[in-house]
Amino acid sequence: MSTIAAPRGGSLMATLASTDHKRVALRVMATALLFFLAGGVLALLIRAELYSPGYQLVGQDRYNEIFSMHGSTMIYLFVVPLALAIGAYFVPLQVGAAEIALPRLALLGWWLLVGGGITMWMGWFTQNGPGDTGWTAFDPLSDANHSPGDGMYLWIFGVMLATVSGLLLATCVLGTVVRRRAPGMTMLRLPVFTWSMLVTCLLVIVGFPVLLVAMSLLFVEREWGGVFDGSGGPINYQNLFWFYGHPVVYVMFFPFVGAVGEVIATFSRRRFFGYRAHVGALLLFSALSTSVWAHHMFATGQVTVKYFSLMSTGLIIPAGIEYLDLLGTMWGGRIRFGVPMAFAVGFILQFLIGGLSGVYVASPPLDYHVHDSYFIVAHFHYTLFAGSLFAFFAAFYYWWPKVTGCFLRTGLGWLHFALLTIGANLTFFPMFFFGYDGMPRRVADYSSEFTDLNRASSIGAAFIALAVLAWIANVVVSVARRESAPADPWGGHTLEWATSSPPPRHNFSDPLPPIRSFAPLLDARQRASEERAG
Amino acid sequence: MLVALVDTRKDFEDLSSTYLLVAIAVFAVVALGCLFSLLRFRAGRRGSPSRGEEPAWLPFAYGGLLAAVIVVLLVLTFSAQDRISAKADRPGLRVDVTAAKWNWRFDYPAEGISQIGGDTRPTVLVVPSDTDVRFRMTSIDVIHSFWIPHVRFKRDAFPKRYTEFDLSFSGTGYHTAGRCAEFCGLKHDQMTFNVEVMSPADFRAWVARKRSEVP
Repeated sequence: MSTIAAPRGGSLMATLASTDHKRVALRVMATALLFFLAGGVLALLIRAELYSPGYQLVGQDRYNEIFSMHGSTMIYLFVVPLALAIGAYFVPLQVGAAEIALPRLALLGWWLLVGGGITMWMGWFTQNGPGDTGWTAFDPLSDANHSPGDGMYLWIFGVMLATVSGLLLATCVLGTVVRRRAPGMTMLRLPVFTWSMLVTCLLVIVGFPVLLVAMSLLFVEREWGGVFDGSGGPINYQNLFWFYGHPVVYVMFFPFVGAVGEVIATFSRRRFFGYRAHVGALLLFSALSTSVWAHHMFATGQVTVKYFSLMSTGLIIPAGIEYLDLLGTMWGGRIRFGVPMAFAVGFILQFLIGGLSGVYVASPPLDYHVHDSYFIVAHFHYTLFAGSLFAFFAAFYYWWPKVTGCFLRTGLGWLHFALLTIGANLTFFPMFFFGYDGMPRRVADYSSEFTDLNRASSIGAAFIALAVLAWIANVVVSVARRESAPADPWGGHTLEWATSSPPPRHNFSDPLPPIRSFAPLLDARQRASEERAG
Repeated sequence: MLVALVDTRKDFEDLSSTYLLVAIAVFAVVALGCLFSLLRFRAGRRGSPSRGEEPAWLPFAYGGLLAAVIVVLLVLTFSAQDRISAKADRPGLRVDVTAAKWNWRFDYPAEGISQIGGDTRPTVLVVPSDTDVRFRMTSIDVIHSFWIPHVRFKRDAFPKRYTEFDLSFSGTGYHTAGRCAEFCGLKHDQMTFNVEVMSPADFRAWVARKRSEVP
């Protein structure tokens, strides 16, 4: 137990050193959300620069730093840590554990994330600026000749620290699922969200060490050279990078689809439909996800395109099963269309646009044209922003009363949802068209034929900024003028709703209800209504 | 052996419209399913929520249906892939492409001519229409990517490595744009070239004129 290292109260020491998984997870989330705001400011600078052709606001050199740091911040410092933090908070609760496994390791995970983020962002204060070779840093562009300066080194170390942080957090969450389940909680009674976190952690453990290898080799290449000069050449860096880079796509997807599954089941007042298929689909997803990395490399002409096209298109099966389960859960339910449900449905439809455009680019003859164009930018922003981020907000409005003991405001929630839906689609949908018509990604200047659609996209970004302000306002108002929330405000299905809001230090003060399925609280309600009826 | 010209644009358009149709159909089904559920199964309607669970056969039957869609898409993809990656036995023209930060150079080895641009003047790639053009491409520094949106094709240029592919340009007499698509540093956004497609006769005249300019 970690009680020795858990000072009480709200002192600074308690804030920095508490090993309560809930506090650690909230700190990781707060850190990730600060980087979300920082990366979002960079995105607004990008859209401002692209409001017109030519250079107006930041210019060529700065622009390359800005888009590189935008992508790096959002992936390494925001979505991945956020996904793992949601798991670190809710997995112990959902499996009925008093504590996360290896709590000090989880605390170290937060510290390394803070260190990694600061390290990467310190690049702004170096002579040549921060890493400016995209979030991918392909060799040889990222070698010492083509990208000299300390900013690139800081970028490499920042990525490595954030990656180790992710590995530690995933280890703790995985260990909790494996070793800390309450009596009766068998593997096939793990809640929908916990299963998605379990598979997420497996992918972290498969993929993240390979990124550490790639970053180490990039460091050696920059210092001494000779790493990527062999017979394979720079393609080897890409193979290593994307062997991490594709599994990480699912690290940024599974936790969110799992959370949406919980939201939809709860708001449809219906048991999650197709639980075993969901588990099977997650396992199939993760198995395939280690054999699809080279679909990012079709245009190199140096990969076996048919194999990777087959594997990538095969992802239709698990993805289709997830969709069947989500719709099947709504079908026949009694759906309350609250703010969490609105974000969940937004996720379903918008992520689908990202997924279907993903099927499109899994076809090499189609990818040859749209690869590295704004079409791809549209594709992955529909999965990550219009998809995962909408799912995060669904989870945020769903779990906020549990975490804080107070409700968010419904009116501000709807405003947030409306602005974000308009903003996301206005920003990212036009990108499909000007990408298809020939605008490449990662450019500060573009041909004047793309001006109108770029303007639409930039105006959309302003809506997103307003949506984020509405969200922050909602958080501030809800904390400042508390409307207390009970232990189980929505009629939840899983164990986190069987304890107080917020949960006590060791999660459960009362005995747990019997666990006979993945939805123990729903079981109890159904039994009670049967007893009343019978 | 007579092989049809590689027509990347046509293969792309045909395949793209099929994929797009499937995507729109799937989106429509899911969107209507969501809308129907939200209306038909909204809270406040009579009756309690269904306790129905998934029948064991459903994911397998549904997975089989998805697999059939995958097979159709991949058959179309693979046959298009075979057509556009075919190489002519005797290409009608050979062009050596050299990519460098941040410009392009096109050499015509058989004709003994070269196209070289400047800082303010993008290089012009001149090609005859309806002819198989064999490109042999390399880079002298970082990875670049040779993209001509009009023919719906791009291919990366790697240092110390040669990449070969065939393209053809249908129609006569037009200009179109080409550019680098792989981020390559400071002036990546300016790394463009122009493509001038001429009728074969005009192309021969252009070659003769170019050669007479060479001292």
